[in-house]
Amino acid sequence: MSASRFSRPSPRTVRRLIGIMLLVLWEAIPRLGILPELFIPPLTKTLNVLWLDRAIYAAALLVTVYEVAIAMLIACGAGILIGSVVGGVAGIRRLMLPVFSSLYAVPIVILYPVFTAWFGIGSESKIAFAGVYGFFPVMLSTAAGIRTIDEQYLLAARSMGASLPQLIARVIIPASIPTVLSGLRLGGALTIIGVVVSEMLTSADGIGYLVTKNRTTLDSPRVFAAIIVILALSVCYDIAVRFIERRTLVWQTAGRRDATSQSVRAAVPAQAAA
Amino acid sequence: MQHVANVTGDRTGVSKAAVEVRDLSHVYVGRDGAVPALQDIDMTVPAGRFVVIVGPSGCGKTSLLMMLAGLRAPTGGTILCDGRAISKPDPSRVGVVFQEASLYPWLTAVENVEFPLVLKHAPRQERRARAEAMLKLVGLEGFGARHPHELSGGMKQRVSIARGLVQDPPVLLMDEPFAALDEQTRMTMGHELLRIWEQTSKTVVFITHSLTEAVYLADDVLVMSARPGRILDRIHVDLPRPRTYQMMATEEFGALRERIWEQIRTTP
Repeated sequence: MSASRFSRPSPRTVRRLIGIMLLVLWEAIPRLGILPELFIPPLTKTLNVLWLDRAIYAAALLVTVYEVAIAMLIACGAGILIGSVVGGVAGIRRLMLPVFSSLYAVPIVILYPVFTAWFGIGSESKIAFAGVYGFFPVMLSTAAGIRTIDEQYLLAARSMGASLPQLIARVIIPASIPTVLSGLRLGGALTIIGVVVSEMLTSADGIGYLVTKNRTTLDSPRVFAAIIVILALSVCYDIAVRFIERRTLVWQTAGRRDATSQSVRAAVPAQAAA
Repeated sequence: MQHVANVTGDRTGVSKAAVEVRDLSHVYVGRDGAVPALQDIDMTVPAGRFVVIVGPSGCGKTSLLMMLAGLRAPTGGTILCDGRAISKPDPSRVGVVFQEASLYPWLTAVENVEFPLVLKHAPRQERRARAEAMLKLVGLEGFGARHPHELSGGMKQRVSIARGLVQDPPVLLMDEPFAALDEQTRMTMGHELLRIWEQTSKTVVFITHSLTEAVYLADDVLVMSARPGRILDRIHVDLPRPRTYQMMATEEFGALRERIWEQIRTTP
């Protein structure tokens, strides 16, 4: 009777159903003994320890959020600043961009032991590591955003009598925001990863540390509780970024369309160089 | 009363040159050495005149326009606009309309039009009123809040024209402004441009590839040669104003078009 109504559910409904199904499986699989509880503790058990230890998790989350916030500030600030210079000044671009592009491919996590030697095992080394980790995508996309601005935008501004500061503030910055924003999104996500990974490696605090510590004592519910907290942190970050992106969406999509249809000549050498 | 009108009429009358170019030359220094791009360019555009420049691709039409706009310095020669030399862009003397992509997608139509006034730090209310008036002039009243991607190609170029005119410059330079438009829109826009021109009595220097467009719009057509760009001929278009679409079918129109084409075709 209602078969036709449910024959074509929206992707959103399907997504939710899959989510609920996974949660049910999470609970059912260990309860039914399909997998041992050491591998996957039941969802309710995990949530229960999360609730019981909420003070510990909250304190650890606070440390992690603090480290992420400072690291993001460093990554975005330095990334935008250096990216603007590298993207805007041709000489520096030719000199530095190949170096930065290659460095991006290096697994920066190998630097973490060095950072702990320099900054200790406290928050400083995590901030430094995650800051460097998130810096590269921000810097590279800022450089790309500035480099691929349509020449016509600049020419028109000059014909209207724009000074260099006006050119930067009113044309170059708004024109590069969509590209920079996509770099910030990636850079921010990498900072979260950087902080959590470094907490897991050598640390005495933070959510990542709780994962490692409870794993060594084979306390699976507490490991999974920490994972849930990290997931929540990432989801919150994603929601925040989406919110910011939506506010600039009107001309972001317009800019993209312009970028594909009108500045092919600008984009092609850019990609070739990158 | 009539006398006063007459005096002002003389002062801004057609006898005075709005744009004067003397002995202009330009040499590009590229990888293959020095390439002469423009040579011996002399041209006088009387105030209020509609001058169209045609010529083969790469003849330096756009370079010439860039120099008239003060966006590029010539190697030699002088450019006077409104009696004073042009050394840098001055939107209060020369407005420029480009072919495409020069509207800012993050600004609305009215914000794009008022952009030159924003650069001049004009008071908000004043510049907004001025921009709205310009939009009305180009037939886009009520479209001010739209972003460029919400406008058609023809409407975008209307906005560009409004922006070029917002500081009321005596001279308007147009670099193939309708080249990216479809044939029908292009015809309409040409007609609209003439209406705006007649309403504002600007001096227009207009670059195009289309000979039909050239004859339809121009008082005078300047024909340029290929590199190095020189002015080969100045062809006066004696068709009455206001121009109508019907004129395109006349023998006179065809003969003028033919004459320009011969000039371009027979030049090596």
